[in-house]
Amino acid sequence: MSSAHEQHGEHGAQGHHGPQADHGPRALPASLNAPDVLLAWRRRALLVAAAFALLTLLFTSTHEGRNHIMRAYLMGYMTVFNFAGGALVLLMLQYVTGGKWGLLLRRPLEAMTRTLPLVALMVVPILVPFLGKHLYQWVLYPDAASTHNAYLNHLINQEQELTANFKRPMLNPHALVVESCIIFAVLLLFMVLLNRWSIERDADPASGTEPSYDRWRTRFENLSGPGILVYVILLTLGAIVWIKSLDVTWYSSIWGLQFLVAQGYAVLALSILSVILLSRYEPMKTLLRTTEQHDLGKLAFAFVMLNIYLCFAEFLIIWSGNIPDELPWYLNRIRGGWWYVCSLDFICHWLIPFCLLLSRDLKRNKRKMIWLTCFMIFARLVDMFWLIEPNFSDSAANLHIAGNIGMLAYITVPATVLALWSAYYMTQLMSRPLVCTNDPHLEEILEPEHAF
Amino acid sequence: MPPREGIYGLLAEFNTPGELVRATEEAHQAGYRRMECYTPYPVEEAAVALRFHKTRVPLVCLLGGLLGGTTAFLMETWISVWSYPLNIAGRPLFSWPAFIIPAYEWTILFAGLSAAYGMLALNGLPQLYHPLFNAPNFRDGASTDKFFLCLEAADPRFSIIESRAFLERFAPVSVVEVEL
Repeated sequence: MSSAHEQHGEHGAQGHHGPQADHGPRALPASLNAPDVLLAWRRRALLVAAAFALLTLLFTSTHEGRNHIMRAYLMGYMTVFNFAGGALVLLMLQYVTGGKWGLLLRRPLEAMTRTLPLVALMVVPILVPFLGKHLYQWVLYPDAASTHNAYLNHLINQEQELTANFKRPMLNPHALVVESCIIFAVLLLFMVLLNRWSIERDADPASGTEPSYDRWRTRFENLSGPGILVYVILLTLGAIVWIKSLDVTWYSSIWGLQFLVAQGYAVLALSILSVILLSRYEPMKTLLRTTEQHDLGKLAFAFVMLNIYLCFAEFLIIWSGNIPDELPWYLNRIRGGWWYVCSLDFICHWLIPFCLLLSRDLKRNKRKMIWLTCFMIFARLVDMFWLIEPNFSDSAANLHIAGNIGMLAYITVPATVLALWSAYYMTQLMSRPLVCTNDPHLEEILEPEHAF
Repeated sequence: MPPREGIYGLLAEFNTPGELVRATEEAHQAGYRRMECYTPYPVEEAAVALRFHKTRVPLVCLLGGLLGGTTAFLMETWISVWSYPLNIAGRPLFSWPAFIIPAYEWTILFAGLSAAYGMLALNGLPQLYHPLFNAPNFRDGASTDKFFLCLEAADPRFSIIESRAFLERFAPVSVVEVEL
């Protein structure tokens, strides 16, 4: 294949007219900085955040609103954690796999990882027992005595009491703080190293030479390989402590992996969206070829498949096992109107993206991919709603808006959190050139595009 | 079968893909449509110059997948509900979650097989005879280091004299008549 590329390059240089006349290697744009339009986008994101924050304030006046704000906040927090953490693992993944698909995503992914300090700040409300008690039973009843008392008062059942006592070393207000600190400390360390090296790599005096490529490639690979392993372990911990422990009795060994794949799904959607939107302006206009967009679309398709595969595998195993310990988790998510949300989740999360991404033309079409990736991000939110809300005993009676206007906090709070996060993401995006220059793949993406 | 007479087309041989692509592009502009490029490795620009666009392989693959999935699901339903109903752990006879995985496997199997065989069929393969192999230089060079453009005699624009003159403008290594 490489000989074929050389041949093509040669012909472009000979200046034949014909189809490849406008297919010669393109020049790297003079400025690689993010376009100024990001300032306008960021202003818009902040306005959206402010508007939704005001709406949320209205809901605090209602009982259900107060009830739902923390849950909705958890949903928003988990979504942005998925973006920041998922970006970190996808960044490390593209360092270990190599390939030109990752080169374009590298700077947007780095910008997403640099939002980790903000995400770490956002976890604080969840850690405070004063607010966390609205979410976690084991924060509300932090010791054996109060748990037993709750059982005697029929606030929790015996199984919940026994499980909560058994899991106490992992699930208690102090452990929550320690676990969250460990997760963020390690993730921030990886984030700082990857981001610092990326800048140093471009500033390397030997930049553009074979030894420089090799040295940096090895260095990134050596960090990223173990990094992915560490990340998966920490993510599993986070997913269990922040989300799964909302229901103390349930367990599933595929939980962490499911979150990992869901992060890949969301981050890929967001990064495709980012590069396509940025490609309206230089320098991304020159850098993003239809070939790479097509490749990224195919990768997103793989994640769509993998995601439903894991979700269905978990469901099938629990359905086959038919054990009273595990079933209620699904029953709570199917009964009492939740069947509609469950179906909606399946349709939005898998059916629609799957059918659309089958099409080659759609993957190569910028406008349609913008819509689809936005839809995929929306589908992640539906899924998160389906995961979080049914954990609470009042959820079955909650699935309506009439007389329950506070339920809309599930829209306004995550929207606020997401908009705030996006504004910060754009700030980070503006702080660096949009493409790494000291990488052999840069030459490849400037090569003429093959239409077929 | 009566013996076939006449020629299949004119075959121009080039040393580089660039020359081939240029000749193909100009042939298209000159109005030729029934023509084909033969190269030892994929030359994407030749496909552009030929205006080669879409094949029906994806459609065949999709239909195969749908057929496989539906067949497996209906077959499982028929077996479990009507043909040989078994009470398995008290579950309903129509336990669709259990049917999904075999249906999924059949979808992949049928989609894969129909893509592979559909591709062969749409390419007209297996083909035991092709006139181009009558040209000795094609036999030797097409899979190693030569690039060929064949203007086919079936094209209304084709004329043995003019088409040869047209091809020779591009300074090919040779232009040979290919017998049917």
